[in-house]
Order: sequence, then structure tokens, then C-alpha cells
Amino acid sequence: MSTTTTDRAAAIQAALAEALHPDSVVAHEGALEIRICAGTACHASGRLGVRDAVVEELANRGLTGKVAFVETGCHGFCEKGPILVIQPKGIFYAHVRPQDVAAIIEQSIEGDGFVEKRLYRDLHTGEPVPYERDIPFYKGQQRLVLALNGKIDPYSIDDYLSHEGYAALADVLAGDDPDAVIELITESKLRGRGGAGFSTGTKWRFARQAKGETKYVICNADEGDPGAFMDRSVLEGNPHAVLEGMLIAAFAIGAHDGYVYVRAEYPFAVARLDAALVQARERGLLGLDILGTGFAFDVHISEGAGAFVCGEETALIASIEGKRGMPRTRPPFPAVSGLWGRPTNINNVETFANIPWIMTHGAEAFAAMGVGESRGTKIFSLTGKVANGGLVEVPMGATLRHIIFDIGGGMLPGRTFKAVQLGGPSGGCLPDEMLDVKVDYEELSASGAIVGSGGLVVVDDTNCMVDLARYFLQFTQDESCGKCVPCRLGTKRMLETLERITAGNGREGDIELLEELAGYIIEGSLCALGGTAPNPVLTTLRYFRDELDAHISERRCPAGQCKALITYYIDAEACTGCMLCAKKCPTSCISGEKKQPHVIDVSDCIKCDTCRQVCKFDAVKVWSGIEQAAAATGQEA
Amino acid sequence: MLGMFKAMRTTLRHLPMRKITVQYPEQRERLPERSRGLFRVVIDPANGEPRCRSCTLCESNCPVQVIRVNYTSKYQLPVPNAARIAEARLAAQRDVDLTPLQPVLDDYYEHGTGLIAMLQNAQEAYGYLPRLAIQEISLQTGVSLSQLYGVSSFYNQFRLSPVGKHIITVCHGTACHVAGASLITAAFSEVLEVDVGKTTKDRLFTLQAVSCVGACALAPVVRVGDDETHGRMTPDKARKLVVDLRRSEGIE
Repeated sequence: MSTTTTDRAAAIQAALAEALHPDSVVAHEGALEIRICAGTACHASGRLGVRDAVVEELANRGLTGKVAFVETGCHGFCEKGPILVIQPKGIFYAHVRPQDVAAIIEQSIEGDGFVEKRLYRDLHTGEPVPYERDIPFYKGQQRLVLALNGKIDPYSIDDYLSHEGYAALADVLAGDDPDAVIELITESKLRGRGGAGFSTGTKWRFARQAKGETKYVICNADEGDPGAFMDRSVLEGNPHAVLEGMLIAAFAIGAHDGYVYVRAEYPFAVARLDAALVQARERGLLGLDILGTGFAFDVHISEGAGAFVCGEETALIASIEGKRGMPRTRPPFPAVSGLWGRPTNINNVETFANIPWIMTHGAEAFAAMGVGESRGTKIFSLTGKVANGGLVEVPMGATLRHIIFDIGGGMLPGRTFKAVQLGGPSGGCLPDEMLDVKVDYEELSASGAIVGSGGLVVVDDTNCMVDLARYFLQFTQDESCGKCVPCRLGTKRMLETLERITAGNGREGDIELLEELAGYIIEGSLCALGGTAPNPVLTTLRYFRDELDAHISERRCPAGQCKALITYYIDAEACTGCMLCAKKCPTSCISGEKKQPHVIDVSDCIKCDTCRQVCKFDAVKVWSGIEQAAAATGQEA
Repeated sequence: MLGMFKAMRTTLRHLPMRKITVQYPEQRERLPERSRGLFRVVIDPANGEPRCRSCTLCESNCPVQVIRVNYTSKYQLPVPNAARIAEARLAAQRDVDLTPLQPVLDDYYEHGTGLIAMLQNAQEAYGYLPRLAIQEISLQTGVSLSQLYGVSSFYNQFRLSPVGKHIITVCHGTACHVAGASLITAAFSEVLEVDVGKTTKDRLFTLQAVSCVGACALAPVVRVGDDETHGRMTPDKARKLVVDLRRSEGIE
């Protein structure tokens, strides 16, 4: 018996070794190479020009082939794009432009120096930090899922294979014991990273125990939360890790067909996943006879069409089936009756990407990270008014303060922290006194916010919390599928109330009305979209009630953002009379002589904020509240 | 005389039949306990068309499943001019060329692309989903027109009317919102003189807002077409962008 097991393992290892074509590996560990980030954000910042410049410059210097050039997935530090990294030296260049490339290659590839003006600069001292490992943004992270992002070429299966890719799958196939796999995942305490935080091992067990010949594995890549983009980055940077996770899940539950449901708004992710599927089929890692074991599994891509609710599993299934993506009541859960009425296991991209690591390093190593019932790491997308935004992977249990201030570098200069929004439209806003809360499923739920998919949007003193609550409600209202009444009409009524408040027509009793409606919506909605829709409003009520009160009783927006409640004016002392604002004003309502303080004609002002944004001296200010505005501008309100 | 016999015959013939009238109010028709009447399709007095769009929402939501939307036209709706209106609408769309649709349909048959993927491909071919194309898809695949309409009106991605040459997409994700995306949209809306979701009269620009393009680090983000992304926008830059695009079209 043991010899057959060893034979089988040896045969699988041989098949895996055969799948790797060493000549086509692009990224070698330890070799001299230039890595350029090919993620969406860097693409938008102009990475194509930089890429062409690098290729040309390498050719000019006769270095083509000697210095490897890898177009990797997202490096995570999206704020600084386009990013160029020189390995193995680890030199990190930010905001690279095509004209810098020649100097960078001369200094850092041929020589041992740096091009100082493109290095990352420390936020406090302004000193350049040449090495990636020294940058606080990377130093504070623990990268498990994102480990290979930014290292390998996502279009090359050989890169992934040469970094022990598909080794976990080979082990699982050699072990040939699905129950042991599920046991291991359960022990690791891995929980679904899509938002709900349900135990992955338990989910797999349900799907395995469900009766039926045909079963499906679905990867949920319908990342609809505004402000979250970790799934996109993982798919763009390391699609094979997700495929490997899906393969292991398929083996564990006994499925032979899989779907990846991905947003159509992510063209790069779709293209790279498509390429990964083709390569995996060519190398015998997908198909009828995976690694010679007879295990059959294949994956299809199903593109979404822009509906947030399709992130909900039953709606997602309806959408793959070609129907309107509307959730249905559960039970029966998808594990019993899912896609086409068959048992189906749905996990998030990040969950699947965790699987290979757990299988290779063991459940204990995974469970050693984190606190309480939340183990392992979680990727957060840190955005908003933070100095260093991007993708941050930290162990569960890290504090929000650590993520925002140590890794993210704190606020932009001159701004003060007001709140952090977690979990998108289903989550909530936490004020600074809650910053020491640990990111842990239970602890965050108690605070009113949720881990959710991991979006962290930092908000500063210029943002109105009431407006933010209104924004999220508008989003859920737009995206509500309309099937159940509490969500369809309740969110509409709440939105109308909040719109009235931000327009300066708030009434006594509005807050109580909001609370009452929120209770009904949470209780009566069919799916999580409705059940969590009032959360942003409830946390605003809980932590920022004074702001709401100011809107209702004083007709004042403390942050100076709600258009109906503010008046623009120019501070005569700060104004230098440079005439820039007068030139830029679309309605020409700013008048004034050169070198004399300017004045805004309030009656023509459309409050487009252009003058405030172009002013270099912070002379354009905003008053809110009728009396203050009258006092400030010296005009009748 | 003959008339009397005829009347008698009718009376006699109906005598043994089951009575269909009820002696209201002594006797009452027994309806389900909570019934408030029966359904019928409302005709819009403005244009004489039925208000029902066969979206199947009522069918799928009815808790006791008593509503059926008939996909086949077994029952003629009591609208005398409905056919004429449909005809007129089609006549206005005659110029839709159906040849680009054929590869899409072939793909559907050969590779089993799903319904949504087929509609996406069709939209890629036309820029929007023309009514004729949807009808052709329905005709060839046997998927009912109402189901196709239901799906294409559910998802934000599908457009049922033509779009402008340049599609300006303003991201309204959370990061973009806190960075002032609504000011950007307002600026575009002002300079283009259209509302969000609408196309300018000269068919050059369509302004739309989406929930997130996933480039949050560059907020606020504006996309022109599919490839061009502009990060860190301001209302001023937005106005300039429109001027530049207009200039590239030869309009000052």
C-alpha cells in the first residue's frame, strides 16, 4: 500500500516537473532584473510609456537578454505609480517617467547608484529611501497572498511554477484524501474573505456531504464594493494562485467544473485569467487528467455586467445562469442546491489565494497569525485622504492605527483625521477614538463596522459624514435589485430623508425616523445587501451625531461640503490678488484688481469648488450656516 | 309568432344550464380570503400602449406564484394600435445592420457562451443593444424577448439607446467620492449641458457615472472610452478635457 502511495506521489511530482519549461521563466530569483508594475493604477499613471522606454534603453545598451525585464502584477503601492523595482538590489523607484529610464539603467543597473529624484521620500524627514524593504509601507506588512504579486509575470505559468507553484496541488493529489484537506482547512481557521467571514472548511464540508454527482466550484470575483480592489490585484498579479486554490477546493468537494465570476469592469484581470487558463490547460494542470492522476477539472470565466448585488452568492448563481441577478431565500444554501440546482461551493478570490499557502505551510503556521477566531492575514485596500495608499496585507488583529498611521503614513499634510470607513456600503465609519480597534471579525462587528471585503477609506476634516452616509445609501438604493420591499422602498425613504438633511431642509424627528427605518430594513431584507444597507447611517448616528444635529437644527455643514449649506468667500488678508481664481471661474463671478483682494459674487456662484482648488494661498474659504456666512461676507443672507 | 318560438327555445335551452349570475348581495362569489380583485394589464391612456413591460418581476416575486407572464403571444392584448406602434418603432430602426450579430450568435451556439456574455458581445458590436438585434437574438435562440429585456434592463452595463462617440465615465467609488467626484460630474454636466447617463445632441459625448473602476489611489478618476484613464481630476481639468476632446473633433 505504502509503495503505491509513494509511486503515485513520485509520478505526480514528475508530471509537475514536466509542466515547467525552465527556458521560458521570465522572473528568476536572484538574477538582475527590472520589474515594472502592470497593475491598473500604474497603467493609468502611464506605465506603457515607461515600459517602451525600458525595452528601448536595454536594447540601446546591449543589455537585452542579460537583464531580465518583468512586467509584474500590482506592487500594492498604487499611490506611487508607475513603479519600477531593480532586483536583486531591491531599489524602488516611484512616479517613473519615460525620460528617467536611461538614468535609472545607467545608475542602478550598470552602476551602483540611484537616481535620487525618483526614489521614495520619507514623509517626515524628506530623506530618500532607496530600498523597498526599508519603506514603512512595505516594512509593516506581512505578505502571504500578495507575496508573489510584483515578483512574477502573470502571463507566465513558468514563473509561478518556478516559485513552487502548484506544489500544494501536487501534494493534495498525492495524498488522495479529500477529507484530510477539508480537515486541514478547518484547522487553519480560514474564514471567507469576501465579507461574511464564514468558515471555509465548514463550507467545503457541506458541499462535500451534499448529494449529487455534479458539483461546482465558483470563485466570486465580483468585487463591487467601491473602494476595494484587492481581488482585482490578486487576479491581475497572480491568477494561478487562485486557480490552484480552486483546484484544491474542487478536489476536496468532488467537483469537476468551476466558474470565475469576474466584473467586466476589470479588463486586465479577465485577460490575465484567460491567459492563465489557456496555459494551465496546455500544461495539464486543468483538464481531464490533471498531473496524470485522472482527476478532472476545468474553469470557465463568466463576466458580470455591472450589478453590485451579484456579489451575493444566490444572485451570482442566477447571473451565471443568464438570469436577472436577484438573490433568493436561503435555505436551500448553494452547498445543497446552487448553480443549475447542483451543490455549489462559492469562495472569494482572496480565500482561494490563501489555500495553496495553507496546504504548503500547514494549518498551524496559518493559525499562528491573527487573534481569536480570526486567523491568517487580510488584505486591505487603503485609500482616501491618506498619505500612502495602496494594498496592505497585515495579520488579522492589527489595529486600524497601525494600518493607517504606520503603514499608510497618516494623513496628507495639513489635514486631520476624522474617520475611517470600513467595509464599503455594508460597513461603517469609525472615529479616531476607535482607532485602536483590532481588525478582527467579531471586534469590528461590535464597533458597528465590518471587515467586509477590506476597503479602508480614510476621511479627513473636509469631508462631511452626513454626505458620506447619503452617498452609501444612494449606492445601495441604486444597486438594490428591487425584489423585497424593505430594501427597495426602505432605502429610498432613508435616502430621501438624508438628501433633505444635506439640502438644509432637515426636520425635527428625522433622526428617529432614520433609526426606525434602519431597524425595519435590517430585519426584513432578504439578502445581505439590504440587511447591511443602513450600517453607514447607523454608525454615523452613533459616532457623528453632532454633525447630523448641526445639519438639522443649525442648517450648518461643519465640514463645509454640503453645497446647499455653504457659501464661498475670499479671505481678504490671505488673498494676494494673483487673479488665478478669477481666470478659472466658469461663471466669472470673481472680481478684483491685480494685487488687490478679490471678491466672489455669491449670487452667481455655482459652488463648483474650482477657486478653492486652484488657490495657492488658501485664501478661498467656505462658511456654513446662514448667520456666519452673512457675517463673513458682509452681505445680507 | 316565429319570434316568440325562437325566444321560448332560447329560454328552454338555458333552463337546465348552470346559472352563471349570482344574486348579489344575498349571494357572493367566493374569492380567496385576502383577494382585492383580479389583475389586468393597465393601458397607458397617453399612448395607448400597455404599461406592462413584461419584466417578469411580478412573476418572480409573487409569494403564492399566481402570476404567469406568457412568453408566447397566445393571448392578444386588447390594444388596437399596439401592433401599429411596434411597427412604427421598428420602421424607425430599419437601418440596424444585423450582420455583426451573426458571429455573436455563432459563438453562442459553438462555445456555449452564456446569455449575458452574448448580450455583452452584441453590445460590443453595436455600442448599445438595438431593439432589432434583441429581437433577432430572441428569434434565433428561442430565448423569449421578455427574458432578454428583463436581463438587459437589470444590469447597469447594458444600454438600450445609442451612445456618443466619447464615453466619459466618472468614477463614483468611495475614494473618488471623498476626493470630490460629485464636483467633477457637476463640472462635466455643466460644460456638456447633459445630465448623467445622457448623450449630447451632437452624439459626441455620453456622460456616465460608475460605482468603482478600481483605481482608487488616483482618485478622483475619469475614464474616456475604454483605455484612457485620467487620475487626480479637478473640475478645472474636467472642463479642459472636454475642450481638448472637442478640439480633436475639430470643434472650437
